[in-house]
Amino acid sequence: MDETQSSKEDTGLKGLYCGPIDFTDPMGRRLLRGVSVSFTPPTLCVITGPSGSGKTSLLRAISGLNKAHVPERRLGNRTYSDRRLPEWRSRVTLLLQDAPCIEGTIRENLAFAFSFKNALNKEFSEKEACELLKRVGLDHFGLDHPVNGLSGGERHRLSLVRGLLWAPPVLLADEPLSGLEPELAQVCFELLYEYSHKRPAVVICVLHQERFARQADTVLRLKDGTLH
Amino acid sequence: MGHYIELSGFDLFLAVGLIVIASVISISLRLGLTRSLMVAASRCMLQLGAIGIVLKKIFQINSPILVIGWLAIMLVMAAREAVRRSKSKYRGINMDALSTMTFTSLVVGLLVTQVVIKVRPWYDPQYVIPIFGMIFGNSLNGICLCLDRFLEYLRSRRQEVELRLCFGATRQEAVIDGARQAVRTGMIPIINNMTVAGIVSLPGMMTGQIVAGASPVQAVAYQIVIMFMIAASNALGAMLLATLAARRLISNYGIELNGK
Repeated sequence: MDETQSSKEDTGLKGLYCGPIDFTDPMGRRLLRGVSVSFTPPTLCVITGPSGSGKTSLLRAISGLNKAHVPERRLGNRTYSDRRLPEWRSRVTLLLQDAPCIEGTIRENLAFAFSFKNALNKEFSEKEACELLKRVGLDHFGLDHPVNGLSGGERHRLSLVRGLLWAPPVLLADEPLSGLEPELAQVCFELLYEYSHKRPAVVICVLHQERFARQADTVLRLKDGTLH
Repeated sequence: MGHYIELSGFDLFLAVGLIVIASVISISLRLGLTRSLMVAASRCMLQLGAIGIVLKKIFQINSPILVIGWLAIMLVMAAREAVRRSKSKYRGINMDALSTMTFTSLVVGLLVTQVVIKVRPWYDPQYVIPIFGMIFGNSLNGICLCLDRFLEYLRSRRQEVELRLCFGATRQEAVIDGARQAVRTGMIPIINNMTVAGIVSLPGMMTGQIVAGASPVQAVAYQIVIMFMIAASNALGAMLLATLAARRLISNYGIELNGK
């Protein structure tokens, strides 16, 4: 069990700690009540919970994409204040729920982040990109294919490849398998699992499918604003 | 200055006949514009008349304080108009528009009046007021277009901006494409104007100078200065405003575009 309110000590050198998070949505619902997450790699954690329970808000709060109250964000032994959120997000990267794309080609969509200041010395590898695209069944498009016109499932797979190429120490994925047929969903889940154990990294997924929860290292359920 | 034909009150009265032609067309075609045409024509006469009187006084008194005061009034009005014309607004837009126009007109206006034209004394209202006026009027247009484009980008491409943020983009990196598009949009009119200048139309200032008796070559020289000045003020204004708007609308948490 990695979810904890008080175990800042056991986050290890590469561990992730974020919390305790409080979040009230614009409609006044208190979705997160003092939730803390603390994981050490390799971990693939699946978060489940009824719809509207705040799973997306939790991932966005960890990523710093909403105005949740987050007293501490820590990765290894470095803490990240609000001012250093861009740096934090380059290491704790969220794959958004709707798998948005930027206008342009598949290559541009996979490579854009490598030009950011926070990319440091990361380099975009076309070879690796092609291999991953092949594994998720998107290789027939080619890197110069424009992304407009891709279906929802295709965008989700592209988003996953984008995240894996970026290879952050913590990858947050909000329903990364939605819109995928069972076989492809299994392939994509395995990629996430493989990534978390090979790199090693912390991967936190919000998922609905029960069968994947059974394959994860940790399963947490978000209910009534707390993780169980 | 050469000669020009002075207009009398009677000449203006004759010009009213031109508005009558427009009204007759409006009435006969049932355009429903007669009333607004009359209101507009009256406002035009009253406003320009008032400005004529004020400018005459300012020219007579010829005091730097008065010139600066008048420029400040024009500046505030222009900034307000820029905000009023923009389709979407945000909290702080007035301040952003005003500071953008102040900075832009100061930099470009001082360069043109003091370095290029070398107006002496430096506040000579005959030059300073029309030139700053043209900067205000034109950067207003550029700013409006730029602002509309930028806010539209943030609205329609919100997810793209978020996607960049998710991968560690700084605020500037997250919206740079939108800012580029916005500045480009703000500069298109002046580029078009420069391209067709003299072919499709004779620009207003040049026409004015020729009517007032200046040599066409001098009128052209002034017009070129003015065109380049407008290009500079549009580019500077659009860039500055996009930067200010981005600072206000993009926080580390994402886009803060409230429905206003």
